[in-house]
Amino acid sequence: MTQPVLKIRNLSKRFPVGGGRVVHAVNCVDLSIMPGETLGMVGESGSGKSTLGRVILRLLEPSEGSIEFDGQDITQLPKGQIRRLRRDMQMVFQDPWSALNPRMRIRDLIAEPIKLHVDLSRSERDDRTEDLARRVNLGSTYLNRYPANLSGGQLQRACIARAIATDPKLIVLDEPTSSLDLSVRAGILELLAEIREETKAAMLFISHDLGTVRMISDRIAVLYLGEVVEQGQTEALFETPAHPYTQALLSAHLPADPAFKVSRLVLEGEVPSPIALPTGCKFHTRCPVAIARCAREVPQAIQVPSGQQAGCLRIPNGGNIIERKEDV
Amino acid sequence: MTLLKVEDLHTHFISRDLDNQICIAKALNGVSFSLEAGRVLGIVGETGAGKSLTAQSIVGLLRPPAKIVAGSVRFEGRELTDMPDAELNRIRGNNIAMVVQNPRTSLDPLTRVGDQLVRLHQIHSGGPKTASHKRALEMMEAVGLPDPESRAKSWPHELSGGMAQRVLLAMALMNSPKLLIADEPTTGLDVTVQAQILDLLRSLVARFDMATLIITHDLGVVAHFCNDIAVMFGGSIVETGSVRDVFAAPAHPYTRDLIAATPERFQMGRAKALGGQPPDLYNLPSGCVLQSRCAYATELCQTTVRNAEVAEGHFALCHYAGRLEEQPAVKINA
Ligand SMILES: Nc1ncnc2c1ncn2[C@@H]1O[C@H](COP(=O)(O)OP(=O)(O)OP(=O)(O)O)[C@@H](O)[C@H]1O
Ligand SMILES: Nc1ncnc2c1ncn2[C@@H]1O[C@H](COP(=O)(O)OP(=O)(O)O)[C@@H](O)[C@H]1O
Ligand code: SF4
Ligand code: SF4
Ligand SMILES: [Mg+2]
Ligand SMILES: [Mg+2]
Repeated sequence: MTQPVLKIRNLSKRFPVGGGRVVHAVNCVDLSIMPGETLGMVGESGSGKSTLGRVILRLLEPSEGSIEFDGQDITQLPKGQIRRLRRDMQMVFQDPWSALNPRMRIRDLIAEPIKLHVDLSRSERDDRTEDLARRVNLGSTYLNRYPANLSGGQLQRACIARAIATDPKLIVLDEPTSSLDLSVRAGILELLAEIREETKAAMLFISHDLGTVRMISDRIAVLYLGEVVEQGQTEALFETPAHPYTQALLSAHLPADPAFKVSRLVLEGEVPSPIALPTGCKFHTRCPVAIARCAREVPQAIQVPSGQQAGCLRIPNGGNIIERKEDV
Repeated sequence: MTLLKVEDLHTHFISRDLDNQICIAKALNGVSFSLEAGRVLGIVGETGAGKSLTAQSIVGLLRPPAKIVAGSVRFEGRELTDMPDAELNRIRGNNIAMVVQNPRTSLDPLTRVGDQLVRLHQIHSGGPKTASHKRALEMMEAVGLPDPESRAKSWPHELSGGMAQRVLLAMALMNSPKLLIADEPTTGLDVTVQAQILDLLRSLVARFDMATLIITHDLGVVAHFCNDIAVMFGGSIVETGSVRDVFAAPAHPYTRDLIAATPERFQMGRAKALGGQPPDLYNLPSGCVLQSRCAYATELCQTTVRNAEVAEGHFALCHYAGRLEEQPAVKINA
């Protein structure tokens, strides 16, 4: 049987913020990603998506739990050895402007990871750099420019070229298209899909945009207050969401098509602070179908008939399905 | 009478460069549209298309070096572009309200929320202070702020993003405006909170019979919350019409690309046809602003384009509007 590229168990990340208070950014997360698979991670602002991505890459130290990458436990791996791992796990960030050193030319920025991780002669490296630029559809005229002279979409292409330069096994993409205009976004998504086909790299695709995530992901994990409340195959999760939060999140999404009827479940209130997490089920303060037990008992993830895993106490008797309002 | 009528509006940024040469960025190039009471118009377009600038030009909140150089903005038949400041201020407070993108920076950090609402009502509507206070509580209630009495005593920093946006909406409603302009009212809010604010906005529009202009880059918001759509590109409205008509049969090449790029319609393999550089506002081409990246562009496109009515109430700013498919001429970007 094939091994997952990434397997995380019971992973938590807490940030002390003074006055004895603690931000519980990521709480007891279990996830795995198979080779070549794209896992989409969705959640609202502050749900812990970026933090989880950074902990996985060991850009942040986990507070608890384990991270296994390519069969190796890297939770405790010393910094020096992590550097070597970077060749196999890369990252693309939301904001391409701040991700690139403004004083380096695009050519050198793309060549940088090759220089660090791959043993190539200078001319081989130059060839590889040009190949990469071509691969991400960045014209060779841009190679001699500085980041300030490229558009957001072009910069993101340069970032992607850097991320694939070392043929990584896993690429973590944190909102790679969120800062880009719609028409530019489409091009980047298409590029990522092509690259996935060619390189068979696994991807963790973080985004708050459900439409985008649906397009690119094989599987999806939904985060609420640092917890995975539901995960499963993309279509199953979109067609028959089991967790009440997933149902509400999906129904709040407005498809860009007036012919598409939306029946909305509007949640009350806002996401509680991750400093004072609710007891029991973390969603109980906003859940339209919460019962008294929900404030006391922490739900365990269970498999639902459509195949996803979801953590809601009411799944066994079907009480997890929220009644819809009239179509609007 | 049309409530708001914007005609051929041109707004430029006029500055001098290092060599003291005058530079002109032509940011709005002949924007025209109108809006009736009870209607919701959505303006969409990519960053820099001129959406916010259109709003600022209408309400007279342009900051130098931006300047309206031509065109007209009529509100209830009265011209706003050459109105004296004092009078314009009065209209802005009483009849036109604006909600901007970042709720936090639009609230006075040193004044309690309730007092800000009362102050606004006092300036424009006058009357006894107790009446203003009562109105403030009513409006806070209307925008769904729980427990208005105690919320009125909150400081702005104590509010979450969603609550701050509700307070801004309450502020906008204080003087019963006839026109509400909301610039990216839900950008930056969580999707579940965005849903709350949009629902609220729609019920308020119906309840107070306001005309509403929503500026957004989110086509989903337009598809489900607006009656009409205006698509902006390079400082021009390139297509307008009812939301249903435009989504069903987009007539302008830019609108077609925009709709084709949404996750709902996007087909892998099509992306290379989409996108491209925004036009250089300092050096606009003569003729159509889209010509350098339009798949249908021909030599004719270098000449002035006129708005063509492709169906009743549905307009597109393109030489080939309504006949893109049968367009025979040689394409210049092929
Ligand atoms: N260095 C830090 N110190 C304290 N708290 C932090 C730190 N980094 C993140 N947090 C908190 O952890 C929680 C999760 O943050 P994270 O950035 O992972 O959210 P996210 O899901 O990526 O949100 P967004 O969609 O806004 O990017 C938030 O409440 C955030 O404020
Ligand atoms: N001070 C300025 N000088 C020159 N151009 C400017 C200035 N401020 C804004 N612009 C340009 O005006 C155009 C319209 O801006 P805006 O209305 O804010 O766009 P959006 O559609 O994103 O709201 C943009 O191309 C922007 O770059
Ligand atoms: S466990 Fe209770 S509160 Fe949590 S999602 Fe299920 S029903 Fe709602
Ligand atoms: S006028 Fe020409 S360049 Fe402009 S949108 Fe129409 S076909 Fe394209
Ligand atoms: Mg983030
Ligand atoms: Mg704007």
